[in-house]
Amino acid sequence: MKGERVGRWLAAARVLALVAVVLIVASGLAAGAEGPRAVRIGTDVDAQSLDPRLQRDTTAYRLNNLIYDGLIQLDENLTPRPDLALSWRQPDEKTWVFTMRRDARFHDGRPVTPDDVVFTFKTILDPALNARFRSLYEPIETVEAVGGDQIRFTLKTPYAPLLNYLDLGIVPKDVGARDLNANPLGSGPFRFSRWERGGRIVLTANDGYFAGRPAIDEIDMIVVPDNTARAQALEAGDLDLIMSPLSPQDVSRLAADRRFRHVHLPGISITYFNFNCRHPVLSDPTVRRAVAMLIDQNTIVQQIYGGIDVPATSLLIPSLRWSYTPEIRQPAYDVDGARGLLAEAGWKPGADGVLAKNGQRLSFTLATHAEDSNRIQTIELSQNTLNQVGIDAKASVTDWPAFIGSVQTGNYDLALLGWTILVDPDRAMYGQLTSSGSLNFGRYANPQVDALLARGRAVGDLAARAEAYQAAARIIAEELPYYVLSYAGFDAFATSRLSGFAADARGFLRGLAAP
Amino acid sequence: MRYLLTRLGLFVPMLAGVVSVVFLLVHLIPGDPARVLLGEDASPQAVAQLRHNLGLDLPLPSQFLRYLGHLLHGDLGVSMFQNAPVLDLVLARLPATLELAAFAIVVSVCLGVSLGCAAAVFHGSALDLLCLVFAQLGISVTVFWLGILLMLAFSVELHWLPAIGRGVPLSSAFAASLEGRPAALFDSLAHLAMPAVALGMQGAAIICRLVRSGMLEALASDYVRTARAKGVHPFAVTFRHALRNALLPAVTMIGWQFGNLLGGAVLTEGIFGWPGLGQLAVGAFSQRDLPLMQGIVLTFALVFGLVTLATDLAYGLIDPRIGSR
Repeated sequence: MKGERVGRWLAAARVLALVAVVLIVASGLAAGAEGPRAVRIGTDVDAQSLDPRLQRDTTAYRLNNLIYDGLIQLDENLTPRPDLALSWRQPDEKTWVFTMRRDARFHDGRPVTPDDVVFTFKTILDPALNARFRSLYEPIETVEAVGGDQIRFTLKTPYAPLLNYLDLGIVPKDVGARDLNANPLGSGPFRFSRWERGGRIVLTANDGYFAGRPAIDEIDMIVVPDNTARAQALEAGDLDLIMSPLSPQDVSRLAADRRFRHVHLPGISITYFNFNCRHPVLSDPTVRRAVAMLIDQNTIVQQIYGGIDVPATSLLIPSLRWSYTPEIRQPAYDVDGARGLLAEAGWKPGADGVLAKNGQRLSFTLATHAEDSNRIQTIELSQNTLNQVGIDAKASVTDWPAFIGSVQTGNYDLALLGWTILVDPDRAMYGQLTSSGSLNFGRYANPQVDALLARGRAVGDLAARAEAYQAAARIIAEELPYYVLSYAGFDAFATSRLSGFAADARGFLRGLAAP
Repeated sequence: MRYLLTRLGLFVPMLAGVVSVVFLLVHLIPGDPARVLLGEDASPQAVAQLRHNLGLDLPLPSQFLRYLGHLLHGDLGVSMFQNAPVLDLVLARLPATLELAAFAIVVSVCLGVSLGCAAAVFHGSALDLLCLVFAQLGISVTVFWLGILLMLAFSVELHWLPAIGRGVPLSSAFAASLEGRPAALFDSLAHLAMPAVALGMQGAAIICRLVRSGMLEALASDYVRTARAKGVHPFAVTFRHALRNALLPAVTMIGWQFGNLLGGAVLTEGIFGWPGLGQLAVGAFSQRDLPLMQGIVLTFALVFGLVTLATDLAYGLIDPRIGSR
């Protein structure tokens, strides 16, 4: 009887094994590649809006850069190159005139005209649209079409960075009931095909593109939120290209794998500590200096970030070569130096071991957001070092909306966060560190810095701009409203199907449009 | 029938409670959707204007009444971030999550019941020990880690299964296979395999233990001894007599597990790039998209309520004594 029972179990097991093998083999046959030149790109978030005026996530930036054209495009060196505009000139420091090409067409066949450009910029400046990047274009007074093929920008004040922001995708002025957020219509090298929400967005090559049809037939932007899963999907052959954000462990493993081409760029983002300059203790530049000397920058960047970022020297960004100099340096990590500085300034250990002066304890909270485990570890390490010298440093980690809400309203002490897409020094400094800047959450105020940043924005000559920004960066490196931790690197890994792949430091993929 | 109607009637107060509690919670947690929407360089005036446009500056009771009013007309509101009706967004993603959860239950039940049975029938043997080890591991290993491991083994190393994505929806795949195109079904199942196993493993472990202990008790009982003495076939003794009685606690577990599965789907969908409601929820909560958050939680509550109702009704089928009271 028992033998019969065992025999029945074995028979059942054999049938199950056979079914499993059939399924596995069949799935291998069934799992189809898309066309012969389809590129599958992994991304961490689904796009929210494919209207370039309303875009607010990296997936949308990358896709819109392929679906739309701008007046200019930034190349791998972040230098403006002609796109819809063939040439441009500045008759005076408050006027820009662009001459447009006549052979660009939107994907529905209608020509791209100066009126479309005017419409795009007028609408992005409209407060009712709530465009995230409206402030970049606020110095524009008027935009008007001139002669059949020219556009004139008249500025309220001289604004040198403007050209770098004119890669904004141009939308048609009249789309009827079409919702560009979900059904974009551009003139770029790729046209929108379909959007499987939460799954993938598919673009196909624009046959009539003025610079020549791309060699790639189709781009699939596939959403895989988990960074490690995205890396594994590349290794499994389910993706052809992945990019930052990636975990340091996955970056080093993939970098050692010869199957993949590794593109590493210094990036144009920073991770930084933001001091609240109205805090009773942190309002003192000496205390800020001592705290900066207690942040073990090299250990954080090498151990926590796995060396994929670069320790920062100042608020100047190496990728913006024309403005960068390594000679301006923030204070180096020096625990004894920090101790001495605080002692000299009159901070003495109280009864509870915490440094105090005039009845004020040296106590504050380090804050960051929960979505980035590297930032959490950075806070924990820094808290430990600060506690060792007698500073009562607490840590606070909340999710992004709660965190950014408190930072924007000035309800923080010392926050660890970042800035991205810093294609111009103005974008890293003006709004953030001028006294009335809308991004000056810590309320730092220095009239000298105000004057230097205003000059950097106003003068057209690059050398003069660089001088102004370097002078401002020098003051900032001494007074430390910001302590810049690192320049965030950009990493991309591509399979051999993308032999000619090139990205720019923003992680934009215009290089995929090569004919 | 009366039981069914009573249970359905209890739905309404249950949903009313969920709607009220969720509304209160999402409005009380810190974080302003207007700030998240406008980004870091939003001026205080722009934030205030947007809060006004979204009705967020109204007193909370007014906002609640407005929301209730829309809800009673079947309107779940419009997503602040995706500019689309919440109902459309939820309905577009719900099938994917239900497909994943249903398959995870199939995995849990098949694996759990068969291993639990085997452990009880071969009690004291190496197979029994193996099943207990499996049960312990299944409860301890997180769905997140298991998903990554499965992907590493079956996609990266063996290239047997696709690493990410959903493939053809199961319903369309079934229809296609009935029309003589089975490739779609294989594609669908291949994409489902790893996420369903990762999600269903914990349930399988729990059901295994429940079925094992239930079967052991049943197999030692008087009525089974009587059946054996009457010469009933061992197969019938095991499955018709012992297992049927051991299944009742397992059925309870299946209903309860479904709630866990909906939550676990959030992690699983993130690992495998599965375009379901879980990922929509992550996005909604991380941005404070209030109408979408409320709509998703309401949907989960409704689905969970229906599943527990189905579970209760299933008791009656398994145990004729229940329902005839």
